[in-house]
Amino acid sequence: MHVFLQTLLDGLMLGGLYALAASGFSLIFGVMGILNLAHGAFLVLGAYVGLQISQSLSIEPILTLPAVVVVLFAAGALFQRYLVQLTVDRGGLVASLLVTFGVSLIIHDLLAHFYGPGSRTIVSSYAYSRIEFGGLVIGLSRLVPLVVSIVLILALHFMLARSRLGREMRAASQQIVAARLCGINVRRVFALTFGIASAYAGVAGVLVGTVLPFSPNSETYWTISAFVVVVLGGAKSPAGTLLGGLLLGILNTMTAQFISPLFTSTVMFLVLVLMLLVRPQGILGHAAGATR
Amino acid sequence: MTGLDRLDLRSKITGNIGAWIAVGVIALVVMAAAPAILTPFQMRVGMSIFFSAGLAVAWGLLGGYAGYYSFGHTAFLGIGAFTGALLSNYLHAVSPLVVFGLSILAAVAVCGVLAALIAYPVLRLRHSYFAIVMLGIAYVAAEVINNFDWFQGSIGIVVPQVVPRGMRPEMFFYYALLAAAAICVVVTALLVSGRVGYALMTIREDEDTAKMLGIATERYKILAFVVSAMLTSLVGVVYAFSIGFITTGAVFRTDFSLNMIVCSLIGGIGTIVGPVFGAIILTVLTQVVLADALSFRLATTGALIVIIVLLAPSGVLGLVRGAAARIRQ
Amino acid sequence: MSIRMNRRTLLASAAGGVLALPFTSRGRAVAQAAKTVVLGGSIPLTGAAAETGMNVFAGYKTLVKFINEELKGFDVGGERVTFELNMIDDASEAQRATTLIQRQIDEGIEFFLGSFSSQIVLPTAAITERAGKVMVQTGGGSDQIFSQGFQSVFGMYPRASRSVYPAVDAFLSMDPKPQSAVVIYTNDPFSRLQADGVTAYIKEQGMNLLETYSLPAEVTDVSGVLASIRELKPDVALCVTHDQNSQLITAQMAATNTNVKGLFQVLGPATENYRKSLGNKADDIFAVTSWSEDMKYGDDIVGTAKDFANYYRKVETRPLVFHVVNGAQCIMIYMRAMQAAGSLEPMAVRDAIKGLDIMTFGGPIQFMPEGDGHPVKMGLKIAQVQKGELKVVFPKEVAAASAIWPMTPWDAR
Repeated sequence: MHVFLQTLLDGLMLGGLYALAASGFSLIFGVMGILNLAHGAFLVLGAYVGLQISQSLSIEPILTLPAVVVVLFAAGALFQRYLVQLTVDRGGLVASLLVTFGVSLIIHDLLAHFYGPGSRTIVSSYAYSRIEFGGLVIGLSRLVPLVVSIVLILALHFMLARSRLGREMRAASQQIVAARLCGINVRRVFALTFGIASAYAGVAGVLVGTVLPFSPNSETYWTISAFVVVVLGGAKSPAGTLLGGLLLGILNTMTAQFISPLFTSTVMFLVLVLMLLVRPQGILGHAAGATR
Repeated sequence: MTGLDRLDLRSKITGNIGAWIAVGVIALVVMAAAPAILTPFQMRVGMSIFFSAGLAVAWGLLGGYAGYYSFGHTAFLGIGAFTGALLSNYLHAVSPLVVFGLSILAAVAVCGVLAALIAYPVLRLRHSYFAIVMLGIAYVAAEVINNFDWFQGSIGIVVPQVVPRGMRPEMFFYYALLAAAAICVVVTALLVSGRVGYALMTIREDEDTAKMLGIATERYKILAFVVSAMLTSLVGVVYAFSIGFITTGAVFRTDFSLNMIVCSLIGGIGTIVGPVFGAIILTVLTQVVLADALSFRLATTGALIVIIVLLAPSGVLGLVRGAAARIRQ
Repeated sequence: MSIRMNRRTLLASAAGGVLALPFTSRGRAVAQAAKTVVLGGSIPLTGAAAETGMNVFAGYKTLVKFINEELKGFDVGGERVTFELNMIDDASEAQRATTLIQRQIDEGIEFFLGSFSSQIVLPTAAITERAGKVMVQTGGGSDQIFSQGFQSVFGMYPRASRSVYPAVDAFLSMDPKPQSAVVIYTNDPFSRLQADGVTAYIKEQGMNLLETYSLPAEVTDVSGVLASIRELKPDVALCVTHDQNSQLITAQMAATNTNVKGLFQVLGPATENYRKSLGNKADDIFAVTSWSEDMKYGDDIVGTAKDFANYYRKVETRPLVFHVVNGAQCIMIYMRAMQAAGSLEPMAVRDAIKGLDIMTFGGPIQFMPEGDGHPVKMGLKIAQVQKGELKVVFPKEVAAASAIWPMTPWDAR
């Protein structure tokens, strides 16, 4: 029982990271129907920006988040405005897959050029602190991402549900033409969506960096894990993303504990395939048009 | 449906099939005679081109004609390669060429069966969902081959040498890959030039309408999927023999899956010659022109993809056709 | 070699050869017609193995520069020889590598350096072997490379399955002697062979192997493995993992206070990023190295290990890790073998490499008949991180420091 509880806790904390890492991907997919294959690259970019700032100013990594948000928001919004939108206009959603993939290659190569292909870590002052109670151990470096993740995903939820921008996003996701007729500047909304999503990716990147070593190659892993989270939780709702992330985390640690750590990725991909085949709309989601 | 892969159906009908066959036969004869003057390096570039072209054409049967973009075709490449590699290590006494032949047959058969098994559930998904599920299937296949020791994916398999005595390996595999690519082209051409081709293109343009028109969409989609998988594994198993040593990481590569798409895209999606052109352009670019570039090769490839999608969404073939139409006017 | 020589140049180069023997030859002006030998090969500068690829490449460049600029070349059969490096980026991809290696063979290149990772080294080595060319490589240690019957392919390390033995020997030399062990490994070609070899060796040496854990290439959490280790309480843990996973394991061990008497990691501690980001948590961890600059190695061409380090820092900016040194040694092997053969004919040089038994700034060089490195002479050494620096602690003959044993518990740091 003790082992089970500890594994569950570890899974929840890992899940927080997965959820936050996927939230931007999910937002873009939910609002615009675009699968952003450059998502992982933006996440890793955020990690490098955080690393750069915290090293050159020698400040606590978590304090770099505002700056990372600004940089990544700008990058994401510009990316959407000048590339993705153009692509969707000319070639449709499938073409956007190729363009975002092309951009992920470019970001990957540039990061490898400037920072080297080797792995890096962002060191926080609480990296080795832990909380113990009743024989259970929680590393602080893994607890912080879970807390930040829950707070930010709740914020995203309320933004979508309550704010004007959130209503515009939901409107644009349902019917672009109708949204336009209601006076919504859809292009602006889409650019903002991409900006916010990239900012979330950047924050996730910094937090990932405080927990795991990362390199330009990590890009692919975070894109794929975002896929799995979205497929598990369903797109379009931050709550779904949170649920999907936590489930993936628990699945990961449970597999490692009770089957073998070797099969963590196998199970992750198997779940991806089976969920798509059985319930493509996700556990909570309601994506239309996946199947007949 | 997207404008990207829209093909004018009429050009298909008015296209002179006899002329295409003549061009194909001449091209094949030229390529078969070429090794007489090619250097070994040029033959290896040829091998790369046939490899990419075969894969891109095989992918295009499903992606280009039916509009089902698979992001995980490397699954069939890898399964084909491992079937061949494992089987050939059990066949000791037989002559090398028989080993080669049997391995190819086995690989194609195994992939055909596996594809047929997953075809129905997988093809219920559309658009991006289909793309992701195929990506997932490729990862699952790679993980299984890597993590179960029986497949030896994690430590790697040495594939026996099948080149006949006295023949240079690059020449042998030049012909082997040429044959594989030619089979991909011919099979695809035969399929799409008739009823199946129209059915697939109708599905691509509007699947629901196709169904309403009484086209047995499921049957055509499954046919395209299974044949596409078998052709992919054909190229994969020949590739495994040409490399001589494979690990999971060497044949299950997401970039292989993406290269198939990129070749089709560069050349012109929804055609047969398009992917072949795309393979030639991409291979010559990365292995000849950019061969000595020590950095920014990935970024260049990425930028190329972006530029083509934005500026020439129907590929080089589209540009050529556009130019030809303007001249005719 | 069909270049005709007249008496004078023959005499001059013979004189040059005599002068070149002691290392007083630096900066000496050379008048003879020099012959340039091109060293070809591919190296991963992008893709999965790029980081190590760059290190090996830096090693190649350093020694070629040293030979050409400091020595002004060397004499082979009365001819002045300099090297030219002609490397291509194979992007960690086999097909690209084989195509481009073929181009170099067509261009007439006769001596090759190796790529990194067996999935590329094996296919490319098959091509150079068949073409009657030579390859000296420092990136492929998988047993399969050395069981192909290749005659002209040489690897700088003992084959993978034997390469981690020294770690077990090192642990067994400690006092008090550890009784039990666990092995954690990444399930990829090279690590897998190393792990299979070392688990067998642990049992053979009479240690109690409590458990082996196999990890996928991408790991995000090892809590489960660590919980199991806390329960089993092994004396030592051996990690046959890559940089990134090693770092994660150490960080999580420290964060969860999972203590063992000895922690060994094949890769990781040798990199600067590992030691910098883990700080004092990296201390007392054992790792492999084939070299460190305070080792008492040396030759009369480059000088001591320290001399090499000083020269390297002058010409390159990448941190000096042992892959750099092994890359540099490949060039040294070619130079010494060409001198010994007195010829630039590939098969003569190949035979000379087979016969090499020399000491260099990077350690002794001698190859096994199958082409892999001599398991003792070229065997990996065991180092320990002490106050942020990697110190060789085993075998005793080359040790620069004595081992800290058992390691300091995480919470006492």
